[in-house]
Amino acid sequence: MAVQQAPNHFGRLVCLVAFFLFFHSGYSTFEHLSYLKAIDGHESGLPLDITIELLTSVALFGLGIVLVADDFKEILMETEMAKQSIESLDARPSFYSFNHRGRAVFKNVILKDEL
Amino acid sequence: MVNAAKVLQDLRASAERKPDVVVRLGKPLIESGAVLKLDADAWLVYEQVAIAALDIGDDTLAQKCIQALETKFPGSPRVRRLQGMQLEAVGKLAEAGLIYKAILEEDETNVLAAKRQVMLLRAMGLPSEAISALVKYLDINYTDFEGWLQLADLYLEELMYAQAAFCMEEVLMLQPQNHIFHLKYAEILYTQDNIQLALKQFCRVVELCRDHVRGLYGIKMCASRLLKAAPSKDATVTSQEDLEAMDLLATERLIALYGAPGAAAESSKVAATKWIETQ
Repeated sequence: MAVQQAPNHFGRLVCLVAFFLFFHSGYSTFEHLSYLKAIDGHESGLPLDITIELLTSVALFGLGIVLVADDFKEILMETEMAKQSIESLDARPSFYSFNHRGRAVFKNVILKDEL
Repeated sequence: MVNAAKVLQDLRASAERKPDVVVRLGKPLIESGAVLKLDADAWLVYEQVAIAALDIGDDTLAQKCIQALETKFPGSPRVRRLQGMQLEAVGKLAEAGLIYKAILEEDETNVLAAKRQVMLLRAMGLPSEAISALVKYLDINYTDFEGWLQLADLYLEELMYAQAAFCMEEVLMLQPQNHIFHLKYAEILYTQDNIQLALKQFCRVVELCRDHVRGLYGIKMCASRLLKAAPSKDATVTSQEDLEAMDLLATERLIALYGAPGAAAESSKVAATKWIETQ
């Protein structure tokens, strides 16, 4: 039924690395701008290495998110509807009645451990 | 490793009635107090487990959940209807009725209490009162397909097939893409001996859900019934060739499905094929 997928550790690692690169490039930019301010230099755009670091972090983020995300659901309505069982007819949660034998049947039952 | 909260959420979404699963997963969550980590979902889980516990007969667990909800939402009509359900479950139908009446007196439009009252009347063994109450509810809320389904069910219990068919038509107007509703409508029509329309509905089932076995059986049964009856000159009626073609198609698909590799032992497949061909 609905078992959560095993967490993709590699994907999470990639996302983590990307985050650090992103944070680092941001901090480097800040330091660079304060350095420029300190030496009264004119702004000449970001240094190349910070730009490369930033773009790398974006690419790694893209890869990491794709690895970490869950499987897609089907787009065709048909495949989703085919999973509907005939028991869904009797479901009607607001209209439950309790005068059934479930109360007697389950009274002294220890529920099994599998799903 | 199963994530209990996720399974419970999926069960809430699909509205399946699986009280044993819900209690087995929800009981440790609630008793350990881990349920409170779910923030907003925690109260939905409490409600879900309370209802499942009532279904199973675990009254202490139900009481615990309802108590927690009462503490968090004192005087809420939703919690009160849960208390009504609790009384219904132990058999105190009159007291449950009083609770629902009180909720409806405060707020006439309370959908939950109105629905519970219908089911209470049914539990008391008063089907006609239950039907009238539900009809009154559906006069106001005519887009509630769950209500129409329930009304169809109530009519079927009284063997009032024409009215049940009408209810299913209302359901189909609201949810035309669900093949299960078409299937129920088709089977009611077949029971009423309206084979022409039943055949059309069974075809719709198979159209919406490819290779639906029950729908294919329906097509076979309708087609063979119509072929045995005298051929009619009426142009609106399905022609003999079409009926034979449908019969053949249904037979082929059924044999293919039952003969699929791994479906069953060879002897069973042979027996099934022989039986399908004789229908």
